[in-house]
Amino acid sequence: MWAYLLRRALLSAFAIFGVLVIVFFLSHIIPGDPIAAILGPQAPNDLIEDLRRRWGLDRPVHEQFVRFLGRLARGDFGQSIATRRAVVQDLREFFPATIELATVAIIFGVAAGLSVGIISAVAHGQWIDHVVRFLSLIGLSMPVFWLGLILLFIFYYRLGIFPGPGQLDIFLPRPPTVTGLITVDALLARDFVALRNALGHMLLPAVVLGSHALVGIARITRASMLEVLGQDYIRVARAKGLAERTVIVRHALKNALLPIITVIGIYYGGLLEGAVLTETVFAWPGLGRYATSAILSQDFAAIMGATILIALVFSLANLAVDLAYGVLNPKIRYE
Amino acid sequence: MARYVVVIFLLSVLAVLPATAGAPPSRVPPNVLVFGMNIESAGSLDPAHGFEFETTWVMQHLYDQLVSLPRDFSRAVPSLAVSWTASPDLKTYTFRLRTGVRFHSGNALDARAVEFSFRRVMQLKLSPSFILTDFIAKQEDVIAVGTDQVRVTFNQAMPENFMAAILSNEVASIVDPAVVRRNAAPDDPLANKWLTDHDAGSGPYELIGWNKNIKVEMKAFDGYWGGRPKMGRVYVQNISESTTQQLALQRGDIDFAANLLPTQARALASQPGFVVKSTPTFSVRYMAMNAQHEPFKNKAVRNAIKWAIDYEGVRRVFDDALDTGQTIVPARMFGHLSDRPYRRDLNRARALLREGGFERGFKVELISGSDSPLPDLAAKVKEDLAQIGIEVDIRILRGAEVLAIYRAQRHQMVFGRWGADYPDPDNLAKAFADFDSRVLAWRTQWDHAVKQTVKQAVVERDRAKREAMYKEIQRIVLDESPFVVFGYQERLVAMRSNVKGLDPSPLAYTFNFAATASKE
Repeated sequence: MWAYLLRRALLSAFAIFGVLVIVFFLSHIIPGDPIAAILGPQAPNDLIEDLRRRWGLDRPVHEQFVRFLGRLARGDFGQSIATRRAVVQDLREFFPATIELATVAIIFGVAAGLSVGIISAVAHGQWIDHVVRFLSLIGLSMPVFWLGLILLFIFYYRLGIFPGPGQLDIFLPRPPTVTGLITVDALLARDFVALRNALGHMLLPAVVLGSHALVGIARITRASMLEVLGQDYIRVARAKGLAERTVIVRHALKNALLPIITVIGIYYGGLLEGAVLTETVFAWPGLGRYATSAILSQDFAAIMGATILIALVFSLANLAVDLAYGVLNPKIRYE
Repeated sequence: MARYVVVIFLLSVLAVLPATAGAPPSRVPPNVLVFGMNIESAGSLDPAHGFEFETTWVMQHLYDQLVSLPRDFSRAVPSLAVSWTASPDLKTYTFRLRTGVRFHSGNALDARAVEFSFRRVMQLKLSPSFILTDFIAKQEDVIAVGTDQVRVTFNQAMPENFMAAILSNEVASIVDPAVVRRNAAPDDPLANKWLTDHDAGSGPYELIGWNKNIKVEMKAFDGYWGGRPKMGRVYVQNISESTTQQLALQRGDIDFAANLLPTQARALASQPGFVVKSTPTFSVRYMAMNAQHEPFKNKAVRNAIKWAIDYEGVRRVFDDALDTGQTIVPARMFGHLSDRPYRRDLNRARALLREGGFERGFKVELISGSDSPLPDLAAKVKEDLAQIGIEVDIRILRGAEVLAIYRAQRHQMVFGRWGADYPDPDNLAKAFADFDSRVLAWRTQWDHAVKQTVKQAVVERDRAKREAMYKEIQRIVLDESPFVVFGYQERLVAMRSNVKGLDPSPLAYTFNFAATASKE
């Protein structure tokens, strides 16, 4: 098992390095002057040149890459041209917001998606199956941006059930930062007012973010369950007189989980890289907006920092899925 | 089985709902102001460093300067300096400071603090420093005379309103030297990093905190020399999406929305409980032709384009949020020329093309940024110029790419926007008409003798003569330059009707509201 983990770690490191090389050189090939763009059209030329020298952007690209690797080896991701802070500090601030939102979103997506998928599979061919499939198609086609604004309009503005944009009500002080995760920090500080408020603020964006995951998980659950429910051992289980609940949950679902877990892992990894549209609508200070803004302004250090983080997240998500296989199916063993 | 699954699903949702049920939406107390705006581009609250729109507006309320400007930007108004005298050549000003002023730290504000603050900006040499260093040659030209006087020697004659335009800028804010020194580090001897998200000011508000991309929080400074502001707390909540801002304003969670689209603002204006205010800003929208690109070498061809543009149509592209001036000095600024000679006249445009030797028209590339409504504007210009036989090939690029091409003088036609760094026509004249300043005239390769008038106008001591010179500069730019001015961007802000004393400024989201803002 340890040998397997070591092999996966090495392979992931190679993959991440490959991603870094591609992203680094691609971001430098894109035309445009990031210093001039960030300082604005009215910045004097000498200031731009001075800043370009200070940031080392006047050096050849390959030299910049070597310097970047050297800093990376020391744990220094460099400084963001836009925020003027260490990229590590930026990521430490924005990534936890994304972790929280993505986690709640995937919980919602999994809970709802599994439920809907199972219902659809069990009621295969009946009206409820058709309704679920139709709604899934609509859900998949619905733009996230639009869905977010509609939910805000209905549940925040019209009904006043949910709070508005942001992670917390503006007057509530943020709990002392320990993990950066506002809910966890609130719990550690026993600030239950902030905890409730933060959860409330998180629900609508989590529903929006989790909606596509919900649909994807529902569809794969339905497909996987249908395949398993058609197996002989399920017929035998029913013939033996087992309760339908036991047949579905203990026998069918357990065996249908492998492809579902894969999809969950992929969706979670995708959510963890941030969702710029949802973050924009709900004023959520997450990684999506940070990375998008970095790309648009060619903020090289921030682009590379976000890339490393996202690549790492995907590698870990894939590893978690592979390990979950081993847990779910004893026949799968990693040497 | 299905029922069992449905119950689990509902329970999982309901498990979260109690966290939300009963949680009241925030409401804004009467002595608190909440602004909703996009502050993501805010970089630093250090007056020597922050140059973004959002940060300079916040700094306006955290710091004081020697002088300030009235709302017509016409003269210097005492602020930290209660009076001043100028040398006969208008190069040296001696300011007498207000006594009894304290920083937020409790330290006294004296002449040494002023000297320190100006010299600090000049040492750091960051983005906004040029506003001072263009006019103050060396650090020793700012000197404390005793504890209550400061002498500033400029490198040119500075008429009083021009001096005020420079020294009222946020870069000329006075910082607390003791606080700066206390928070300095070996690699940051002037505490630039610390001041990014802290304050060392004496202004009407103190900074409580800035969570990047979340909010800025300020509280009224009890010891402010101008009197404690009525609004005890100010929050600036980051909301980048305009529809979300609108919903938050309507819901009552914010008092003021800074970034609504014109259509959203107009919809709110017709609803009770909301007020929408607008003002033309000191931001000029224009199109530039490269004067060294055939056929733009010919003045007749350049003017043909000016006569072919449908200016009312352009205004509609901007959703009517454009004040259609045609001169480079915006309305409300000293020296503004209100002439608007150009209107759509295709016959005249064609005649000018004939005169320029391009009767059959020509092909030209137009570079546009991708931010709305520039692509629509590009399509509009293409359509307008097609009427006189000019075929426009549009390239839509990211802002960084547009800027790179423009700065490298590689454009044929390009859209631009110039916002005044300080409220004096020199800033615009230098940019648009002085080739030697290496700004817009240089980028468009338009080297005209009017640049001498620009250099003379900035040092002209007679106010009426100075105004006349800027008007002359604008006439020449209108008639001969490669710039087509579309107008001045309007600023539209919306607020709840119980909020008083917040007025949009041509230079910032609002004028300094410390003394004026209140709620009914």
